[in-house]
Amino acid sequence: MRRATAALVAALAMLAVLSTGCSAAGKPVDLAVVQSAQRPEPVGVVVNPPTTTGATTQVPPCDPTASLRPGAMPGPGAMPEGSTMKKIQDRGRLIAGVDQNTFLFGFRNPTTNQLEGFDIDRVREIAAAIFGDPNKVQFKVITSAGRIPALQKGEVDIVVRTMTATCARWVDINFSAIYYVAGQRLLVDRGSEISGVDQLRGQRVCAAKGSTSLNKLRDSPAPPEVVAVDNWTDCLLMLQQGQVAGVSTDDTILAGMVAQDPNVKMVGPRFTEEPYGIGIPKANEDMVRFVNGVLEKSIASGSWTASYGRWLTQAGEQAAPPTVKYRD
Amino acid sequence: MVTAEARQASPLRRVTHSATTTPGRLSLIAVGLLLLTVLTGIFAAVTLQTKQSTLDELTDHREPLTAAAQQIYRSLSDADATAASAFLSGGVEPAALRSRYEFDIAQAGAALGKASSDVAGDSLAEQQVNTLSQQLPVYTGLIETARANNRQGFPAGAAYLREASGLMRSKILPAAEQLYGIDYERLKAGQAEARSFPWTTLVLTVALLAALVMTQRYLTRKTNRLLNVGLFGSTLAIALALVWGSAALIIGATQVADGERNGSQQVDVLVQARINSLKCRADETLTLVARGDGPGYEKEWQELSVTFSGGDRGNLLRQARELASSPAIAGEVDQALANADTWIAAHKKIRELDDGGQYEEAVAMAIGAAPDSSAVAFGKLDKNLITALNAGREEFFTQTKHASAALTGLVPGVVVLAIIAAAGILLGIRERLREYR
Repeated sequence: MRRATAALVAALAMLAVLSTGCSAAGKPVDLAVVQSAQRPEPVGVVVNPPTTTGATTQVPPCDPTASLRPGAMPGPGAMPEGSTMKKIQDRGRLIAGVDQNTFLFGFRNPTTNQLEGFDIDRVREIAAAIFGDPNKVQFKVITSAGRIPALQKGEVDIVVRTMTATCARWVDINFSAIYYVAGQRLLVDRGSEISGVDQLRGQRVCAAKGSTSLNKLRDSPAPPEVVAVDNWTDCLLMLQQGQVAGVSTDDTILAGMVAQDPNVKMVGPRFTEEPYGIGIPKANEDMVRFVNGVLEKSIASGSWTASYGRWLTQAGEQAAPPTVKYRD
Repeated sequence: MVTAEARQASPLRRVTHSATTTPGRLSLIAVGLLLLTVLTGIFAAVTLQTKQSTLDELTDHREPLTAAAQQIYRSLSDADATAASAFLSGGVEPAALRSRYEFDIAQAGAALGKASSDVAGDSLAEQQVNTLSQQLPVYTGLIETARANNRQGFPAGAAYLREASGLMRSKILPAAEQLYGIDYERLKAGQAEARSFPWTTLVLTVALLAALVMTQRYLTRKTNRLLNVGLFGSTLAIALALVWGSAALIIGATQVADGERNGSQQVDVLVQARINSLKCRADETLTLVARGDGPGYEKEWQELSVTFSGGDRGNLLRQARELASSPAIAGEVDQALANADTWIAAHKKIRELDDGGQYEEAVAMAIGAAPDSSAVAFGKLDKNLITALNAGREEFFTQTKHASAALTGLVPGVVVLAIIAAAGILLGIRERLREYR
């Protein structure tokens, strides 16, 4: 009895060994299968965003660079009764919509925690003209796309944020006189073979949402795949992470990126002209005239040139301030 | 042995034939009773053993994993808020914030390692652990890149920080929160299992008891003898097993329920409050980092801050206060409520300052070390929450261990009693059979 059982067990064991030995079909098991790494993206990235409605509506022809002529300038702290500036003076601070992410124009200096840049200098000049104190400013950071809504809702008194004066925008807001003229160019990796905006067909190119640069890219003869982000520095980040082939916007902004990363370069000529104006709500024409007065004074006194020298000598060739033009 | 002999000696026909004679019938009854005893004994032993391991599993495995999952969430959320605070402080980040961030990441990594040991077989949990293990290194990479850029004075650092925080809030934290949810559900399922009464075993035991009683009545009728010592012993053994087992199980179930109500449920409410407070803290600092460009953060603060402050039912801390089983926990939760109110007040002040153009003052209020600052109030609140949480965990542990202790010796006891019962049946019936020879 016992023997028989032992024999049976042995036979079964043999069978088991044989069958496992023979059935070598199948594969080794992979416990962790990863198809591809998920790359991190800046918050709010959109690929090929739909065109903004503003582009399709009828825009009356105009000279976007011509603003309103300044009148007599009141002294600091003595704004005329009933004016927009008086309201700001009574509030005790100027509310300015700016950027904190665009190196050289409006950026937060990580070392001092202060906002600095060419645009920020303009804001402080205006604050100084109203209060006699350049620090009586509340900075509100807004995105490119948020500039016009912020002005329309009256959340800010002025927007100084690398903002191109265009006829389409003149419909919704007022612009000051032009305080800087930039031009759109292309930024690529140092090793990239792309040398101009005409070679971008099918490539991923980064631009900020709601910017003129984005629309220009879309209208280009070789339209790229546009990657739209909230802030311009997000474009530098995506270029550094190899998620876009290039960044296209105003040369001044691009110069700020080159200053942060020597491994990127600007290529191709300027293919647009971007006159920067200070955005002001449509209703506040007195404020427009006042701001233009401040700009004229700044250009005349040389503080514009000093500010330019501090921030933008590396950016471009133009060293002379733009000539102010008025539509009266 | 009797069964084997009987089977060998009598094929089916002889069995049916012998059932008509009294000795034959007695043999059959003996076989039946023995089978039922063995079946009941094995079944009861296995069931009780399973119950015992379910209870041990609760304290050794389920609850620690739930705690690990909430630790992951807590550490990562705190890391995110700390990174934002460090950024706000400007320049080179303060050493205290740096080491706090490092500690958070280390703790999250360790807890994640533990949590991942357990997810095999639960594809949803596996997914969350997968996301966490894949994205956490990416997050820390982005934070270090942000730091390198910050130290050079480049605003690209802020962009990297935003990207890192976005990754944390859109992928990593939701995965950690889900993992906690899954682990808590599993803990609850384990507790329900531990509390459940083994009805099948009960039915089997009662049936066995009834069969024993009926057999004795039958024997009394047939032999006119009042007492069969063997069978009576069996009956006593089975009855003892029934009473002991039922009592132990009922006591155990009560303890488990206590541990659930005073321990794990309490902890869950506190964890929810803590998760929300952590989210709010991150919102508060990120609003200041965004400097007007992050309206979503303040909105989330408004929605979530009512879950740990204010007087209505939605206040999780008030719920925790009602659930509190000991004065120590209640006191801690009371303090948490007070600190939450201080924090809410500080936050209000921050928003007033920031909206009124006093950004620097707002930042100081948010991350500074002044006694009324938001950082201090939040720090105290978090400390209260963790103390209350740990007390709740201990409550759970003690109660569940008591439940486990109530079952001590039950499995070997039941086995021994079943063997005694079987022996009694054998002896009792054999004594009667002998009289027929």
